[in-house]
Amino acid sequence: MTSVPAASKVVGAADAAPTATSLRPTAPWRRRDRRIGLAAAAPAFIIVVGFMMYPVLYALFISFNKTDGVDFEWVWFKNYSNILTDPLVHQVFLNNVKFLISVPLVIFFSIIVSVLLFEKIRGWKTFRIIFFLPNVLSIVVIGVMFKSIFGYYGAVNSIIAAVGGNRVSFFTDGSLAIWVIVIALVWSGFGYQALLIMSGLSAIDTSVFEAAALDGAGWWRRLRWITLPNIRRELGFVFIINVLYTFTSLFGFIFVMTAGGPGYATTTVDYLVYLKAFGSENLGPGAALAVLLFLFIGLLTILQNRFFRIQGND
Amino acid sequence: MTSQTLNRSARIPIFIGLCVLAASIIYPVYFLAIAAFRTQLDYQENPLGLPRQWTLHNFSVVWNGYGAGPAFLRSILVVSVSTCLVLLFATFAGYSLAKLNPPGAKIITGSFVSVMLIPSQVLILPIYLLLSALGLVGSYTSLMLLYTATNLPFAVFFLTLSFRSISDDILDAAKVDGAGFFRTVGRVAVPVAIPSLATLAVLQFLGMWNELLYALILLPDDSKRLLTPALSMIGQRYVNNQPLVSAGLLIAASVPILLLTLTSRYVVEGISIGSSK
Repeated sequence: MTSVPAASKVVGAADAAPTATSLRPTAPWRRRDRRIGLAAAAPAFIIVVGFMMYPVLYALFISFNKTDGVDFEWVWFKNYSNILTDPLVHQVFLNNVKFLISVPLVIFFSIIVSVLLFEKIRGWKTFRIIFFLPNVLSIVVIGVMFKSIFGYYGAVNSIIAAVGGNRVSFFTDGSLAIWVIVIALVWSGFGYQALLIMSGLSAIDTSVFEAAALDGAGWWRRLRWITLPNIRRELGFVFIINVLYTFTSLFGFIFVMTAGGPGYATTTVDYLVYLKAFGSENLGPGAALAVLLFLFIGLLTILQNRFFRIQGND
Repeated sequence: MTSQTLNRSARIPIFIGLCVLAASIIYPVYFLAIAAFRTQLDYQENPLGLPRQWTLHNFSVVWNGYGAGPAFLRSILVVSVSTCLVLLFATFAGYSLAKLNPPGAKIITGSFVSVMLIPSQVLILPIYLLLSALGLVGSYTSLMLLYTATNLPFAVFFLTLSFRSISDDILDAAKVDGAGFFRTVGRVAVPVAIPSLATLAVLQFLGMWNELLYALILLPDDSKRLLTPALSMIGQRYVNNQPLVSAGLLIAASVPILLLTLTSRYVVEGISIGSSK
Protein backbone atom coordinates (compact mmCIF):
# COMPACT_ATOMS: atom_id res chain seq x y z
CA MET A 1 0.00 0.00 0.00
CA THR A 2 2.69 2.51 0.97
CA SER A 3 5.45 1.40 -1.33
CA VAL A 4 3.80 2.33 -4.63
CA PRO A 5 2.87 5.91 -3.74
CA ALA A 6 6.25 6.42 -2.10
CA ALA A 7 8.00 5.38 -5.29
CA SER A 8 5.85 7.53 -7.54
CA LYS A 9 6.17 10.45 -5.17
CA VAL A 10 9.89 10.39 -5.79
CA VAL A 11 9.11 11.03 -9.43
CA GLY A 12 6.69 13.81 -8.51
CA ALA A 13 9.19 15.43 -6.18
CA ALA A 14 11.95 15.16 -8.69
CA ASP A 15 9.90 17.04 -11.26
CA ALA A 16 8.75 19.78 -8.96
CA ALA A 17 11.80 20.41 -6.81
CA PRO A 18 14.94 18.92 -8.28
CA THR A 19 17.29 20.50 -5.75
CA ALA A 20 15.63 19.02 -2.66
CA THR A 21 15.25 15.49 -3.96
CA SER A 22 18.89 14.57 -3.76
CA LEU A 23 18.86 14.84 0.03
CA ARG A 24 15.40 13.79 1.23
CA PRO A 25 13.39 12.50 -1.71
CA THR A 26 10.03 11.73 -0.11
CA ALA A 27 9.87 13.22 3.37
CA PRO A 28 8.76 16.84 2.66
CA TRP A 29 6.01 15.71 0.31
CA ARG A 30 4.70 13.13 2.71
CA ARG A 31 4.83 15.35 5.72
CA ARG A 32 3.01 18.14 3.92
CA ASP A 33 0.39 15.67 2.70
CA ARG A 34 -0.20 14.44 6.21
CA ARG A 35 -0.58 17.98 7.54
CA ILE A 36 -3.07 18.79 4.80
CA GLY A 37 -4.83 15.52 5.64
CA LEU A 38 -5.16 16.53 9.26
CA ALA A 39 -6.56 19.91 8.28
CA ALA A 40 -9.05 18.22 5.94
CA ALA A 41 -10.27 15.75 8.55
CA ALA A 42 -10.35 18.34 11.33
CA PRO A 43 -13.72 20.06 10.61
CA ALA A 44 -15.60 16.74 10.61
CA PHE A 45 -13.76 15.60 13.71
CA ILE A 46 -14.42 18.85 15.60
CA ILE A 47 -18.14 18.79 14.74
CA VAL A 48 -18.46 15.17 15.86
CA VAL A 49 -16.53 15.79 19.08
CA GLY A 50 -18.50 18.94 19.85
CA PHE A 51 -21.95 17.61 19.05
CA MET A 52 -21.63 13.95 19.99
CA MET A 53 -18.71 13.04 22.23
CA TYR A 54 -18.82 16.08 24.46
CA PRO A 55 -22.63 15.83 24.96
CA VAL A 56 -22.34 12.15 25.90
CA LEU A 57 -19.76 13.03 28.56
CA TYR A 58 -22.00 15.87 29.67
CA ALA A 59 -24.93 13.43 29.97
CA LEU A 60 -22.70 11.21 32.10
CA PHE A 61 -21.92 14.23 34.31
CA ILE A 62 -25.61 15.16 34.63
CA SER A 63 -26.46 11.60 35.63
CA PHE A 64 -24.40 12.03 38.82
CA ASN A 65 -26.11 15.30 39.74
CA LYS A 66 -29.36 16.61 41.09
CA THR A 67 -30.00 19.46 38.69
CA ASP A 68 -32.61 21.59 37.00
CA GLY A 69 -30.15 22.43 34.24
CA VAL A 70 -28.79 25.52 36.01
CA ASP A 71 -27.70 24.47 39.51
CA PHE A 72 -25.83 21.23 39.94
CA GLU A 73 -25.49 19.19 43.11
CA TRP A 74 -23.27 16.09 43.00
CA VAL A 75 -25.19 13.10 44.36
CA TRP A 76 -23.00 10.16 43.26
CA PHE A 77 -25.11 7.11 42.30
CA LYS A 78 -28.38 8.29 43.80
CA ASN A 79 -30.01 8.82 40.38
CA TYR A 80 -28.95 5.35 39.30
CA SER A 81 -30.32 3.69 42.43
CA ASN A 82 -33.55 5.68 42.00
CA ILE A 83 -33.89 4.51 38.40
CA LEU A 84 -33.04 0.89 39.16
CA THR A 85 -35.58 0.69 41.99
CA ASP A 86 -38.32 2.69 40.25
CA PRO A 87 -41.35 0.41 39.62
CA LEU A 88 -42.25 2.53 36.59
CA VAL A 89 -38.87 1.78 35.01
CA HIS A 90 -39.43 -1.94 35.65
CA GLN A 91 -42.85 -1.77 34.02
CA VAL A 92 -41.47 0.13 31.05
CA PHE A 93 -38.63 -2.35 30.62
CA LEU A 94 -41.22 -5.15 30.61
CA ASN A 95 -43.12 -3.25 27.92
CA ASN A 96 -39.96 -3.31 25.80
CA VAL A 97 -39.73 -7.04 26.38
CA LYS A 98 -43.32 -7.39 25.13
CA PHE A 99 -42.35 -5.58 21.93
CA LEU A 100 -39.75 -8.29 21.34
CA ILE A 101 -42.62 -10.41 20.00
CA SER A 102 -42.06 -8.44 16.78
CA VAL A 103 -38.58 -9.94 16.36
CA PRO A 104 -39.54 -13.52 15.39
CA LEU A 105 -42.40 -12.16 13.27
CA VAL A 106 -40.13 -9.83 11.31
CA ILE A 107 -37.58 -12.61 10.83
CA PHE A 108 -40.26 -15.05 9.71
CA PHE A 109 -41.60 -12.70 7.04
CA SER A 110 -38.09 -11.64 5.99
CA ILE A 111 -37.12 -15.24 5.36
CA ILE A 112 -40.23 -15.85 3.29
CA VAL A 113 -39.68 -12.73 1.22
CA SER A 114 -35.97 -13.35 0.70
CA VAL A 115 -36.42 -16.98 -0.27
CA LEU A 116 -39.20 -16.09 -2.69
CA LEU A 117 -37.30 -13.13 -4.15
CA PHE A 118 -34.18 -15.22 -4.47
CA GLU A 119 -35.86 -17.46 -7.02
CA LYS A 120 -35.46 -14.38 -9.26
CA ILE A 121 -38.68 -14.93 -11.11
CA ARG A 122 -39.70 -12.33 -13.66
CA GLY A 123 -40.25 -8.93 -12.08
CA TRP A 124 -38.33 -9.63 -8.89
CA LYS A 125 -36.65 -6.23 -9.06
CA THR A 126 -40.01 -4.48 -9.00
CA PHE A 127 -41.04 -6.58 -6.01
CA ARG A 128 -37.79 -5.63 -4.34
CA ILE A 129 -38.58 -1.92 -4.68
CA ILE A 130 -42.11 -2.46 -3.33
CA PHE A 131 -40.78 -4.33 -0.29
CA PHE A 132 -38.31 -1.56 0.23
CA LEU A 133 -40.96 1.17 0.27
CA PRO A 134 -41.68 1.23 4.04
CA ASN A 135 -37.99 1.70 4.66
CA VAL A 136 -37.89 5.13 3.03
CA LEU A 137 -40.98 6.37 4.85
CA SER A 138 -40.69 8.21 8.13
CA ILE A 139 -41.65 6.37 11.30
CA VAL A 140 -44.04 9.27 11.79
CA VAL A 141 -45.72 8.59 8.46
CA ILE A 142 -45.98 4.86 9.21
CA GLY A 143 -47.15 5.53 12.77
CA VAL A 144 -49.86 7.98 11.75
CA MET A 145 -50.85 5.60 8.95
CA PHE A 146 -51.40 2.68 11.31
CA LYS A 147 -53.02 4.91 13.86
CA SER A 148 -55.62 5.97 11.32
CA ILE A 149 -56.03 2.51 9.83
CA PHE A 150 -56.69 1.06 13.31
CA GLY A 151 -58.60 4.16 14.45
CA TYR A 152 -62.24 4.04 15.48
CA TYR A 153 -63.36 5.05 11.98
CA GLY A 154 -60.37 3.53 10.22
CA ALA A 155 -60.14 0.81 7.60
CA VAL A 156 -59.92 -2.12 10.02
CA ASN A 157 -62.98 -1.03 11.96
CA SER A 158 -64.81 -0.38 8.71
CA ILE A 159 -64.16 -3.98 7.70
CA ILE A 160 -65.26 -5.21 11.15
CA ALA A 161 -68.43 -3.13 10.89
CA ALA A 162 -69.06 -4.28 7.33
CA VAL A 163 -69.07 -7.93 8.39
CA GLY A 164 -71.37 -7.11 11.28
CA GLY A 165 -68.98 -6.88 14.22
CA ASN A 166 -68.65 -4.16 16.83
CA ARG A 167 -66.03 -1.48 16.34
CA VAL A 168 -62.94 -2.03 18.49
CA SER A 169 -61.15 0.80 20.21
CA PHE A 170 -57.59 -0.42 19.67
CA PHE A 171 -55.73 2.30 21.53
CA THR A 172 -57.58 2.27 24.86
CA ASP A 173 -56.49 -1.28 25.64
CA GLY A 174 -52.78 -1.59 26.41
CA SER A 175 -52.19 -5.04 24.94
CA LEU A 176 -54.19 -4.31 21.77
CA ALA A 177 -52.21 -1.08 21.34
CA ILE A 178 -48.96 -3.04 21.65
CA TRP A 179 -50.19 -5.43 18.96
CA VAL A 180 -50.98 -2.56 16.61
CA ILE A 181 -47.48 -1.15 17.12
CA VAL A 182 -46.00 -4.62 16.61
CA ILE A 183 -47.89 -4.93 13.33
CA ALA A 184 -46.54 -1.54 12.28
CA LEU A 185 -43.04 -2.67 13.22
CA VAL A 186 -43.31 -5.88 11.21
CA TRP A 187 -44.84 -4.05 8.25
CA SER A 188 -42.08 -1.49 8.17
CA GLY A 189 -39.20 -3.86 8.87
CA PHE A 190 -39.50 -7.10 6.95
CA GLY A 191 -38.79 -5.87 3.43
CA TYR A 192 -35.49 -4.27 4.24
CA GLN A 193 -34.33 -7.18 6.33
CA ALA A 194 -35.27 -9.56 3.57
CA LEU A 195 -32.70 -7.71 1.44
CA LEU A 196 -30.08 -8.26 4.15
CA ILE A 197 -30.88 -11.97 4.20
CA MET A 198 -30.74 -12.05 0.42
CA SER A 199 -27.12 -10.97 0.51
CA GLY A 200 -26.47 -14.12 2.52
CA LEU A 201 -28.41 -16.25 0.05
CA SER A 202 -26.36 -14.90 -2.84
CA ALA A 203 -23.21 -16.16 -1.16
CA ILE A 204 -24.36 -19.78 -1.10
CA ASP A 205 -22.56 -21.96 -3.61
CA THR A 206 -25.18 -22.78 -6.25
CA SER A 207 -23.61 -26.14 -7.08
CA VAL A 208 -24.76 -27.37 -3.65
CA PHE A 209 -28.34 -26.72 -4.70
CA GLU A 210 -27.87 -28.41 -8.02
CA ALA A 211 -26.28 -31.46 -6.41
CA ALA A 212 -29.12 -31.68 -3.89
CA ALA A 213 -31.68 -31.35 -6.65
CA LEU A 214 -30.01 -34.14 -8.61
CA ASP A 215 -30.15 -36.29 -5.49
CA GLY A 216 -33.89 -35.75 -5.51
CA ALA A 217 -34.17 -33.27 -2.62
CA GLY A 218 -37.35 -31.25 -3.02
CA TRP A 219 -37.71 -27.50 -2.63
CA TRP A 220 -38.70 -27.74 1.04
CA ARG A 221 -35.88 -30.08 1.97
CA ARG A 222 -33.35 -27.82 0.23
CA LEU A 223 -34.76 -24.88 2.16
CA ARG A 224 -34.52 -26.69 5.47
CA TRP A 225 -31.13 -28.37 5.07
CA ILE A 226 -29.18 -26.06 2.77
CA THR A 227 -30.63 -22.57 2.66
CA LEU A 228 -31.40 -21.91 6.31
CA PRO A 229 -28.15 -23.31 7.77
CA ASN A 230 -26.17 -21.25 5.28
CA ILE A 231 -27.75 -17.94 6.22
CA ARG A 232 -27.48 -18.32 9.99
CA ARG A 233 -24.96 -15.45 10.13
CA GLU A 234 -27.40 -13.08 8.46
CA LEU A 235 -30.22 -14.38 10.65
CA GLY A 236 -28.10 -13.70 13.73
CA PHE A 237 -27.37 -10.19 12.52
CA VAL A 238 -31.03 -9.50 11.74
CA PHE A 239 -31.99 -10.86 15.15
CA ILE A 240 -29.61 -8.51 16.98
CA ILE A 241 -30.53 -5.37 15.03
CA ASN A 242 -34.21 -6.09 15.70
CA VAL A 243 -33.59 -6.42 19.42
CA LEU A 244 -31.58 -3.19 19.38
CA TYR A 245 -34.34 -1.56 17.38
CA THR A 246 -37.04 -2.39 19.96
CA PHE A 247 -34.95 -0.70 22.65
CA THR A 248 -33.88 2.44 20.78
CA SER A 249 -36.19 3.25 17.91
CA LEU A 250 -39.75 2.89 19.08
CA PHE A 251 -39.91 6.54 20.14
CA GLY A 252 -41.49 7.74 16.89
CA PHE A 253 -44.18 5.05 16.86
CA ILE A 254 -45.06 5.60 20.51
CA PHE A 255 -45.03 9.37 20.16
CA VAL A 256 -47.53 9.49 17.30
CA MET A 257 -49.63 6.40 18.03
CA THR A 258 -50.25 6.20 21.78
CA ALA A 259 -48.12 8.84 23.56
CA GLY A 260 -47.17 5.98 25.89
CA GLY A 261 -50.72 5.28 26.97
CA PRO A 262 -53.15 4.13 28.10
CA GLY A 263 -51.45 4.84 31.41
CA TYR A 264 -47.89 3.69 30.82
CA ALA A 265 -48.97 0.51 29.00
CA THR A 266 -47.04 1.31 25.80
CA THR A 267 -44.27 3.48 27.24
CA THR A 268 -40.87 2.13 26.23
CA VAL A 269 -37.46 2.91 27.67
CA ASP A 270 -36.55 5.39 24.94
CA TYR A 271 -39.89 7.16 25.29
CA LEU A 272 -39.42 7.31 29.07
CA VAL A 273 -36.03 8.99 28.57
CA TYR A 274 -37.79 11.68 26.56
CA LEU A 275 -40.57 12.05 29.20
CA LYS A 276 -38.07 12.30 32.02
CA ALA A 277 -35.82 14.73 30.16
CA PHE A 278 -38.59 17.17 29.25
CA GLY A 279 -41.19 16.54 31.90
CA SER A 280 -39.44 16.62 35.25
CA GLU A 281 -37.76 19.11 37.56
CA ASN A 282 -34.69 17.00 38.24
CA LEU A 283 -32.84 16.07 35.05
CA GLY A 284 -30.48 13.61 36.78
CA PRO A 285 -32.63 10.45 36.68
CA GLY A 286 -33.46 10.95 33.00
CA ALA A 287 -29.77 11.26 32.19
CA ALA A 288 -29.04 8.18 34.32
CA LEU A 289 -31.67 6.21 32.40
CA ALA A 290 -30.18 7.40 29.09
CA VAL A 291 -26.71 6.31 30.19
CA LEU A 292 -28.04 2.89 31.27
CA LEU A 293 -29.77 2.51 27.90
CA PHE A 294 -26.52 3.39 26.15
CA LEU A 295 -24.60 0.82 28.22
CA PHE A 296 -27.22 -1.82 27.46
CA ILE A 297 -26.94 -1.13 23.74
CA GLY A 298 -23.16 -1.21 23.94
CA LEU A 299 -23.35 -4.59 25.67
CA LEU A 300 -25.67 -5.98 22.98
CA THR A 301 -23.33 -4.71 20.28
CA ILE A 302 -20.32 -6.33 21.92
CA LEU A 303 -22.26 -9.59 22.19
CA GLN A 304 -23.13 -9.24 18.52
CA ASN A 305 -19.47 -8.83 17.56
CA ARG A 306 -18.43 -11.78 19.70
CA PHE A 307 -21.21 -13.86 18.16
CA PHE A 308 -20.03 -13.04 14.66
CA ARG A 309 -16.43 -13.82 15.43
CA ILE A 310 -17.39 -17.28 16.68
CA GLN A 311 -19.61 -17.80 13.65
CA GLY A 312 -16.85 -16.65 11.34
CA ASN A 313 -14.40 -19.20 12.72
CA ASP A 314 -16.42 -22.32 12.14
CA MET B 1 -29.29 -20.11 -8.93
CA THR B 2 -32.15 -22.06 -7.47
CA SER B 3 -34.51 -20.92 -10.18
CA GLN B 4 -32.74 -23.23 -12.60
CA THR B 5 -33.91 -26.15 -10.50
CA LEU B 6 -37.46 -24.85 -10.52
CA ASN B 7 -39.84 -25.89 -13.18
CA ARG B 8 -42.33 -23.55 -14.72
CA SER B 9 -45.27 -24.65 -12.59
CA ALA B 10 -43.33 -24.07 -9.36
CA ARG B 11 -42.89 -20.41 -10.26
CA ILE B 12 -46.59 -19.70 -10.12
CA PRO B 13 -46.99 -20.21 -6.34
CA ILE B 14 -43.87 -18.11 -5.77
CA PHE B 15 -45.28 -15.34 -7.91
CA ILE B 16 -48.57 -15.52 -6.03
CA GLY B 17 -46.78 -15.48 -2.68
CA LEU B 18 -44.81 -12.41 -3.68
CA CYS B 19 -47.97 -10.70 -4.91
CA VAL B 20 -49.75 -11.33 -1.59
CA LEU B 21 -46.82 -9.93 0.39
CA ALA B 22 -46.47 -6.98 -1.96
CA ALA B 23 -50.19 -6.29 -1.60
CA SER B 24 -49.81 -6.17 2.17
CA ILE B 25 -47.31 -3.35 1.65
CA ILE B 26 -49.17 -1.56 -1.11
CA TYR B 27 -52.74 -1.77 0.14
CA PRO B 28 -52.43 0.45 3.26
CA VAL B 29 -50.59 3.06 1.21
CA TYR B 30 -53.16 2.82 -1.56
CA PHE B 31 -56.03 3.07 0.92
CA LEU B 32 -54.69 6.30 2.40
CA ALA B 33 -53.76 7.74 -0.97
CA ILE B 34 -57.34 7.28 -2.14
CA ALA B 35 -58.73 8.67 1.11
CA ALA B 36 -56.74 11.86 0.64
CA PHE B 37 -58.71 12.68 -2.50
CA ARG B 38 -62.22 12.44 -1.03
CA THR B 39 -64.41 14.42 1.33
CA GLN B 40 -64.88 13.44 4.95
CA LEU B 41 -68.57 12.66 4.31
CA ASP B 42 -67.80 10.50 1.31
CA TYR B 43 -65.15 8.63 3.33
CA GLN B 44 -67.48 7.95 6.24
CA GLU B 45 -70.22 6.60 4.04
CA ASN B 46 -68.06 4.17 2.15
CA PRO B 47 -64.46 4.07 3.39
CA LEU B 48 -63.46 0.90 1.55
CA GLY B 49 -64.84 1.76 -1.89
CA LEU B 50 -63.67 4.26 -4.45
CA PRO B 51 -64.63 7.91 -3.95
CA ARG B 52 -67.69 9.13 -5.81
CA GLN B 53 -66.08 12.48 -6.29
CA TRP B 54 -62.40 13.33 -6.39
CA THR B 55 -61.24 16.50 -4.66
CA LEU B 56 -58.02 18.34 -3.88
CA HIS B 57 -59.69 20.16 -1.00
CA ASN B 58 -57.83 18.19 1.73
CA PHE B 59 -54.47 19.08 0.28
CA SER B 60 -55.19 22.79 0.21
CA VAL B 61 -56.53 22.66 3.78
CA VAL B 62 -53.48 20.81 5.12
CA TRP B 63 -51.01 22.77 3.00
CA ASN B 64 -52.36 26.24 3.83
CA GLY B 65 -54.56 25.87 6.88
CA TYR B 66 -52.51 23.51 9.01
CA GLY B 67 -49.08 24.75 8.03
CA ALA B 68 -47.87 21.67 6.13
CA GLY B 69 -46.88 23.83 3.16
CA PRO B 70 -44.47 26.17 4.94
CA ALA B 71 -43.21 23.20 6.99
CA PHE B 72 -42.52 21.34 3.75
CA LEU B 73 -40.45 24.25 2.43
CA ARG B 74 -38.60 24.62 5.74
CA SER B 75 -37.80 20.90 5.71
CA ILE B 76 -36.47 21.14 2.17
CA LEU B 77 -34.23 24.03 3.20
CA VAL B 78 -32.88 22.55 6.46
CA VAL B 79 -32.38 19.05 5.05
CA SER B 80 -30.73 20.25 1.82
CA VAL B 81 -28.28 22.51 3.63
CA SER B 82 -27.46 19.77 6.15
CA THR B 83 -26.98 17.19 3.41
CA CYS B 84 -24.58 19.53 1.58
CA LEU B 85 -22.64 20.18 4.78
CA VAL B 86 -22.37 16.45 5.51
CA LEU B 87 -21.17 15.71 1.98
CA LEU B 88 -18.65 18.55 2.05
CA PHE B 89 -17.06 17.68 5.40
CA ALA B 90 -17.30 13.94 4.80
CA THR B 91 -15.60 14.26 1.40
CA PHE B 92 -12.63 16.10 2.90
CA ALA B 93 -12.37 13.82 5.93
CA GLY B 94 -13.01 10.65 3.93
CA TYR B 95 -10.41 11.56 1.31
CA SER B 96 -7.91 12.44 3.98
CA LEU B 97 -8.42 9.21 5.92
CA ALA B 98 -8.34 7.12 2.76
CA LYS B 99 -5.32 8.67 1.06
CA LEU B 100 -3.36 11.15 3.15
CA ASN B 101 -2.67 9.17 6.33
CA PRO B 102 -3.00 12.17 8.68
CA PRO B 103 -1.43 12.03 12.14
CA GLY B 104 -3.91 10.54 14.59
CA ALA B 105 -5.87 8.79 11.81
CA LYS B 106 -6.56 5.86 14.10
CA ILE B 107 -8.01 8.08 16.82
CA ILE B 108 -10.17 9.96 14.32
CA THR B 109 -11.50 6.77 12.71
CA GLY B 110 -12.00 5.14 16.09
CA SER B 111 -14.04 8.02 17.44
CA PHE B 112 -16.21 8.16 14.30
CA VAL B 113 -16.95 4.44 14.61
CA SER B 114 -17.69 4.58 18.33
CA VAL B 115 -20.09 7.55 18.16
CA MET B 116 -22.17 5.72 15.56
CA LEU B 117 -23.50 3.62 18.45
CA ILE B 118 -24.88 6.57 20.39
CA PRO B 119 -28.68 6.48 20.37
CA SER B 120 -30.34 9.86 19.87
CA GLN B 121 -32.14 9.58 23.23
CA VAL B 122 -28.81 9.88 25.01
CA LEU B 123 -27.96 13.07 23.15
CA ILE B 124 -31.19 15.04 23.42
CA LEU B 125 -30.87 16.19 27.01
CA PRO B 126 -27.23 17.40 26.97
CA ILE B 127 -27.63 18.86 23.47
CA TYR B 128 -30.71 20.75 24.56
CA LEU B 129 -28.98 22.13 27.66
CA LEU B 130 -25.83 23.10 25.77
CA LEU B 131 -27.71 24.78 22.95
CA SER B 132 -30.04 26.63 25.28
CA ALA B 133 -27.01 27.88 27.21
CA LEU B 134 -25.74 29.24 23.89
CA GLY B 135 -29.20 30.63 23.08
CA LEU B 136 -29.39 28.48 19.95
CA VAL B 137 -32.53 26.46 20.69
CA GLY B 138 -35.18 27.39 18.16
CA SER B 139 -32.71 28.28 15.42
CA TYR B 140 -32.33 26.43 12.14
CA THR B 141 -28.55 26.64 12.56
CA SER B 142 -28.60 24.44 15.65
CA LEU B 143 -30.62 21.74 13.93
CA MET B 144 -28.46 21.86 10.80
CA LEU B 145 -25.32 21.52 12.90
CA LEU B 146 -26.79 18.63 14.86
CA TYR B 147 -27.92 16.83 11.70
CA THR B 148 -24.49 17.36 10.21
CA ALA B 149 -22.79 15.98 13.32
CA THR B 150 -25.00 12.93 13.75
CA ASN B 151 -24.77 11.96 10.08
CA LEU B 152 -21.07 12.63 9.58
CA PRO B 153 -19.64 9.45 11.18
CA PHE B 154 -21.44 7.12 8.79
CA ALA B 155 -20.80 9.42 5.83
CA VAL B 156 -17.06 9.59 6.51
CA PHE B 157 -16.90 5.83 6.97
CA PHE B 158 -18.81 5.25 3.72
CA LEU B 159 -16.72 7.70 1.67
CA THR B 160 -13.41 6.49 3.10
CA LEU B 161 -14.21 3.08 1.65
CA SER B 162 -15.05 4.56 -1.76
CA PHE B 163 -12.03 6.87 -1.95
CA ARG B 164 -9.73 4.04 -0.97
CA SER B 165 -10.51 2.31 -4.25
CA ILE B 166 -9.15 5.23 -6.31
CA SER B 167 -5.80 4.29 -7.76
CA ASP B 168 -2.84 6.15 -6.30
CA ASP B 169 -1.35 6.58 -9.76
CA ILE B 170 -4.14 8.94 -10.81
CA LEU B 171 -3.69 11.02 -7.67
CA ASP B 172 0.06 11.17 -8.15
CA ALA B 173 -0.41 12.18 -11.76
CA ALA B 174 -2.60 15.05 -10.56
CA LYS B 175 0.09 16.04 -8.13
CA VAL B 176 2.73 16.00 -10.84
CA ASP B 177 0.52 18.37 -12.78
CA GLY B 178 0.71 20.70 -9.80
CA ALA B 179 -2.81 20.13 -8.44
CA GLY B 180 -3.18 21.06 -4.77
CA PHE B 181 -5.50 19.42 -2.27
CA PHE B 182 -8.72 21.11 -3.39
CA ARG B 183 -8.07 20.52 -7.07
CA THR B 184 -7.16 16.88 -6.49
CA VAL B 185 -10.31 16.28 -4.48
CA GLY B 186 -12.57 18.34 -6.72
CA ARG B 187 -11.28 17.28 -10.13
CA VAL B 188 -10.05 13.73 -9.53
CA ALA B 189 -11.46 12.10 -6.40
CA VAL B 190 -15.04 13.41 -6.45
CA PRO B 191 -15.76 12.60 -10.13
CA VAL B 192 -14.60 9.03 -9.58
CA ALA B 193 -16.76 8.66 -6.47
CA ILE B 194 -19.95 10.18 -7.91
CA PRO B 195 -22.04 6.98 -7.53
CA SER B 196 -21.07 6.68 -3.85
CA LEU B 197 -21.73 10.37 -3.28
CA ALA B 198 -25.15 10.09 -4.91
CA THR B 199 -26.08 7.07 -2.79
CA LEU B 200 -24.89 8.84 0.32
CA ALA B 201 -26.73 12.05 -0.53
CA VAL B 202 -30.02 10.20 -1.01
CA LEU B 203 -29.60 8.18 2.19
CA GLN B 204 -28.71 11.23 4.27
CA PHE B 205 -31.50 13.32 2.78
CA LEU B 206 -34.06 10.60 3.55
CA GLY B 207 -32.76 10.08 7.06
CA MET B 208 -32.98 13.76 7.93
CA TRP B 209 -36.28 14.28 6.16
CA ASN B 210 -37.80 11.50 8.27
CA GLU B 211 -36.16 12.49 11.56
CA LEU B 212 -38.51 13.37 14.41
CA LEU B 213 -36.86 13.71 17.81
CA TYR B 214 -34.25 16.43 17.22
CA ALA B 215 -36.54 18.44 14.97
CA LEU B 216 -39.27 18.28 17.60
CA ILE B 217 -37.06 19.45 20.44
CA LEU B 218 -34.80 21.98 18.77
CA LEU B 219 -37.51 23.77 16.79
CA PRO B 220 -40.41 23.85 19.27
CA ASP B 221 -42.09 26.91 17.72
CA ASP B 222 -45.06 26.27 15.47
CA SER B 223 -43.75 29.00 13.19
CA LYS B 224 -40.51 27.09 12.55
CA ARG B 225 -41.67 23.47 12.72
CA LEU B 226 -40.40 21.05 10.12
CA LEU B 227 -42.67 18.72 8.20
CA THR B 228 -42.19 15.42 10.08
CA PRO B 229 -42.98 16.89 13.54
CA ALA B 230 -45.76 18.98 12.02
CA LEU B 231 -47.30 15.82 10.60
CA SER B 232 -47.11 14.09 13.98
CA MET B 233 -49.10 17.02 15.42
CA ILE B 234 -51.67 16.88 12.63
CA GLY B 235 -51.97 13.13 13.13
CA GLN B 236 -52.63 13.57 16.84
CA ARG B 237 -55.13 16.40 16.57
CA TYR B 238 -57.22 15.34 13.60
CA VAL B 239 -57.08 11.56 13.93
CA ASN B 240 -60.78 11.19 13.11
CA ASN B 241 -60.55 13.19 9.93
CA GLN B 242 -58.99 10.46 7.85
CA PRO B 243 -58.99 12.29 4.50
CA LEU B 244 -57.23 15.29 6.01
CA VAL B 245 -54.59 13.21 7.79
CA SER B 246 -54.10 11.15 4.63
CA ALA B 247 -53.38 14.28 2.63
CA GLY B 248 -50.74 15.24 5.21
CA LEU B 249 -49.24 11.76 5.00
CA LEU B 250 -49.04 11.93 1.22
CA ILE B 251 -47.32 15.32 1.36
CA ALA B 252 -44.73 14.00 3.82
CA ALA B 253 -44.25 10.72 1.94
CA SER B 254 -44.09 12.32 -1.50
CA VAL B 255 -40.41 13.23 -1.34
CA PRO B 256 -39.18 9.81 -0.11
CA ILE B 257 -41.38 7.97 -2.61
CA LEU B 258 -40.17 10.21 -5.43
CA LEU B 259 -36.55 9.67 -4.42
CA LEU B 260 -37.07 5.91 -4.18
CA THR B 261 -38.58 5.65 -7.65
CA LEU B 262 -35.96 7.90 -9.25
CA THR B 263 -32.92 6.41 -7.53
CA SER B 264 -34.10 2.96 -6.49
CA ARG B 265 -30.89 1.30 -7.57
CA TYR B 266 -28.68 3.58 -5.48
CA VAL B 267 -30.96 3.56 -2.45
CA VAL B 268 -31.72 -0.14 -2.31
CA GLU B 269 -28.10 -1.14 -2.73
CA GLY B 270 -26.70 1.68 -0.62
CA ILE B 271 -28.78 0.79 2.39
CA SER B 272 -27.89 -2.86 2.08
CA ILE B 273 -24.19 -1.97 2.06
CA GLY B 274 -24.45 0.55 4.85
CA SER B 275 -26.13 -1.64 7.39
CA SER B 276 -24.16 -4.81 6.85
CA LYS B 277 -21.17 -2.97 8.29
